[in-house]
Amino acid sequence: MNNRATFVRYSNLEMMAVAASRILQNEHTVLVGTGLPLVSAILAKKTHAREMKVLMEAVAFDCDPEALPFCVADPRAVYKTAWRPTAFEVMGQFLQRGKVDIGFLGGAQVDRYGNLNSTCIGDYNQPKRRMEGSGGANDIAAMAGKTVITIAHEKKRFVEEVDYITSPGWYCRTPDGTRLINRRELGLRGGPYAVVSTMGVLKFHPGTREMYLHSYYEDLGVSKEQVVEATGFTLDTSQAVPMEPPYVEELEALRNVVDPEGIFMKY
Amino acid sequence: MVKEDKLINLQDIPGYIREGDRVWTGGWTVVRKPMAMVWQLIRSGKKKLHLVANPGGPEFDLMAGCNCISKTETNYIGHEVFGHPYNWRRKLDQPDGEDFHHDDWTVQTGALRIMAGSMGIPFIPTRSLMGSDIINPDYDGFSELRGRDKKVPKKKIKIMDDPFWDEGTVVLLPALNPDVCLIHAQKVGEDGTVLITGGAFLDYHAALASEVTIVSAEKIVSKEEIEKTAEMNKIPGMAVDAVLEVPYGAHPTALYGCYDNDPWWFKEYLEASKDVDKMQAWSKEWIYGLDNYREYLDKLGKKRLDQLCADSQKGYNPGMKRRLDQLEEVPLD
Repeated sequence: MNNRATFVRYSNLEMMAVAASRILQNEHTVLVGTGLPLVSAILAKKTHAREMKVLMEAVAFDCDPEALPFCVADPRAVYKTAWRPTAFEVMGQFLQRGKVDIGFLGGAQVDRYGNLNSTCIGDYNQPKRRMEGSGGANDIAAMAGKTVITIAHEKKRFVEEVDYITSPGWYCRTPDGTRLINRRELGLRGGPYAVVSTMGVLKFHPGTREMYLHSYYEDLGVSKEQVVEATGFTLDTSQAVPMEPPYVEELEALRNVVDPEGIFMKY
Repeated sequence: MVKEDKLINLQDIPGYIREGDRVWTGGWTVVRKPMAMVWQLIRSGKKKLHLVANPGGPEFDLMAGCNCISKTETNYIGHEVFGHPYNWRRKLDQPDGEDFHHDDWTVQTGALRIMAGSMGIPFIPTRSLMGSDIINPDYDGFSELRGRDKKVPKKKIKIMDDPFWDEGTVVLLPALNPDVCLIHAQKVGEDGTVLITGGAFLDYHAALASEVTIVSAEKIVSKEEIEKTAEMNKIPGMAVDAVLEVPYGAHPTALYGCYDNDPWWFKEYLEASKDVDKMQAWSKEWIYGLDNYREYLDKLGKKRLDQLCADSQKGYNPGMKRRLDQLEEVPLD
């Protein structure tokens, strides 16, 4: 891929899908949730990572869909799979046995340690807004080799403290619910590797495990200051570099092959 | 077992289910849900059901909107990218004055719980859940029921150190044994053997774990016919108590190789379900005001159902437009 899309207009959401897809490589086995993770994984599969194994929690195993699945159980995900397991095999065996390299999740709130909330806004017992719930997100965050998170970059989403930890990050809840603790002390492997947002890609300091800005979408007019402004906790931007804009091949695959109807991309 | 022993009608379904029963609905969110049986349950005025699918889709939200349920115990309730479960949300948003409880789980732990139930063991360990609020004691949605309600385990989980290999901490999960399991499938033999294509999800484990299992199918076939697909059959006849034939029994959810999701249904339903009065009008029009499921299908019309028809190889309708904000007019006969 070497054709830069210099004169093509593209959206932050498209850059986000492209940036997330670039994390995925041929040698990976990836377990994806619905929404943008699904779009990005299929985009990677259709462009630079054709050998990558894509798993979905409901039934789809090593899938390469012709049409974008609506959900992880959609017949579109199941078509052209050589084996059709259940959630027991995918989540209770492959994931738990340590055979998944990357877990790919979306959510409504994230904190500096990569704790992710997809359960409720406000107090769990009196929610301002209840959401659909974990699905397999908690399992994936607990047991995948690395977790990649996709989330829109807004102050109300990048928060000091998530309202509910659906999926554990680097410092997550003690079993008595009173404080945060290093996930290794709870016996959890893996952990968040990157957060791909509508403004840039964020990673975690190896020492403090706090989120920092790794790259930002300068080509779309995003500045480091704007990212800081849209983040509800202190963010280190000292290492941040501009993100490579999409290549023509990436945008064409996204628009013409992966989500031509705009189901998730909302063209 | 001869076929007369197991063959029932849709009208018989409410007779199998009592108030307070834990009901497993097979399928996965917007795929292969036992919607015709749920339609009949709603019509019969059942109350206080305890739903335990893994995960729940429009059947949960419909039963919430028609006041059939008082407990939900699952990892996800929703209509995927179609939209949010507004009726169920309203149940949770107004916990005061209403007897409603929800217990949050995950896909893996739900799968392990129903598998433990199918194995006849009382609990099973997992490496999931640690570090999350799903096991936070302050957020246990069933805390008031534990030790009082026999259909709810005494504790949500127990944390334990591996006593054999010193491989760290695991979380013990209570087994799940539903009272009734409702499954819709492509085909069922008259002996009860179930053929499911496009993903059996957790329905084999649920059929074995439940006290009573009922399977509706697009088609009932002879024992000789179902034997021809032995390698593809997912549930043995001995785990199935009753069978019934209901074409379009999973509508508006998708059934692999038969029909796709009905986007017009989701669009209309989601609009109605945002509001209590509109939801009442919707349920009168589509459920209470109709005499039987045949009338429901007639009301949808042949043209609309034909539009949902799946490609037999691909399992879905490749020509289907699915974006609700750009949907074409609903096809009318």
